Amino acid sequence: MTVLILTGEEDVTADMVVAHLNASSVPVVRLDPADLTAGAALSGEYVHGTFRGHLSSGERLVSVEAIRAVWVRRPGVPAARAAQPSAWLTQETAQALYGMLRDCGARWMNDPDAARRARYKPWQLRLAQRCGLPVPATLITTFPQAAREFAERFPDLVVKPVSGAHPQEPPRAVPTSRVAPGTDFAAVAYGPTLLQRRIAKRADVRLTAVGGTLLAARKETAADADPDQVDVRFAPPGAPWRPAEVPRAVARSVHAYLRRARLAYGAFDFAEDADGTWWFLECNQSGQFGFVEVDTGQPIARTIAEWLAGTARPGTPVAES
Amino acid sequence: MQPFALNYARPAVEREAATPYVYDAGLQLNVLLDGRIAAFDHALLRELGTTTSTAGSKTHFDD
Repeated sequence: MTVLILTGEEDVTADMVVAHLNASSVPVVRLDPADLTAGAALSGEYVHGTFRGHLSSGERLVSVEAIRAVWVRRPGVPAARAAQPSAWLTQETAQALYGMLRDCGARWMNDPDAARRARYKPWQLRLAQRCGLPVPATLITTFPQAAREFAERFPDLVVKPVSGAHPQEPPRAVPTSRVAPGTDFAAVAYGPTLLQRRIAKRADVRLTAVGGTLLAARKETAADADPDQVDVRFAPPGAPWRPAEVPRAVARSVHAYLRRARLAYGAFDFAEDADGTWWFLECNQSGQFGFVEVDTGQPIARTIAEWLAGTARPGTPVAES
Repeated sequence: MQPFALNYARPAVEREAATPYVYDAGLQLNVLLDGRIAAFDHALLRELGTTTSTAGSKTHFDD
């Protein structure tokens, strides 16, 4: 039984998992959908009430029925590297590949439908609330007046993209940024704007959930840190990530979140305040984990490999396709 | 007419350094020039930042 990993060649984080699977003699096929139809190929036959499918990548060939788990890690755009790429060919290829895989009986990390839904940040906030996680007061609006009133109620705010995506053409980054007092909110009318009460944090927390295993890491905020430097991704390196205990109440809520979201993997970001409360910021259903493992030595890659191989410890919740 | 959030945008920083490893299709892993598996070299990964939570990815924003 084979583990299928959908990702690009340059994904060295996936390598960390592949190495563990290799060490356990678990067959792996690594396929980038971008390589269909140049370097990768597929075929599926629906005859006499049965299905037989095959995928190939490089020199490897696997029957679809032999796939025990699919890890949707960093797949390229289907057929992006085809001889004559086009939007139509991408759509055709996506339909063929994912349509064929959807009912193959494998476990997914993560199920594509669940993953698509889980990317909606507003949906994440509501689910986190329902699961009992503290969520900073948040407003998403195109009404400038609503933004002004929110700023009166919560004077210390940050703004961040609703989608988490960053604009291209030209490529720009939109870090979570502090909103200065007296800011003019008129431009809120030109696009949905996410405003959130700033948490005066003493640490950032990244909690990586793999099946039923929770691995948390904490990065302390320097005492002299600039309070305008909100987004840890854009901050100077500072303190390393260190392993952290997950408070029992948070663990309960995170398990509930994963169950309701039907996610086998999630990377949760929290801001820890001076009281030690972990405020939910977001859950990235395919969030990076390599940098945490590199700093903390936590066995995240091994845990993912074990989940994919089906050798995770008993009782681990599993998201079936 | 620019959306409010874009008032806080900054130019994306492109990674300039070439990665010192190449993909080995046989192993299905990236290997260093001396043949070692790149993923085992944590010091290198830390230095390159290739496993970090990055912002501004064109194709993936689940970081």
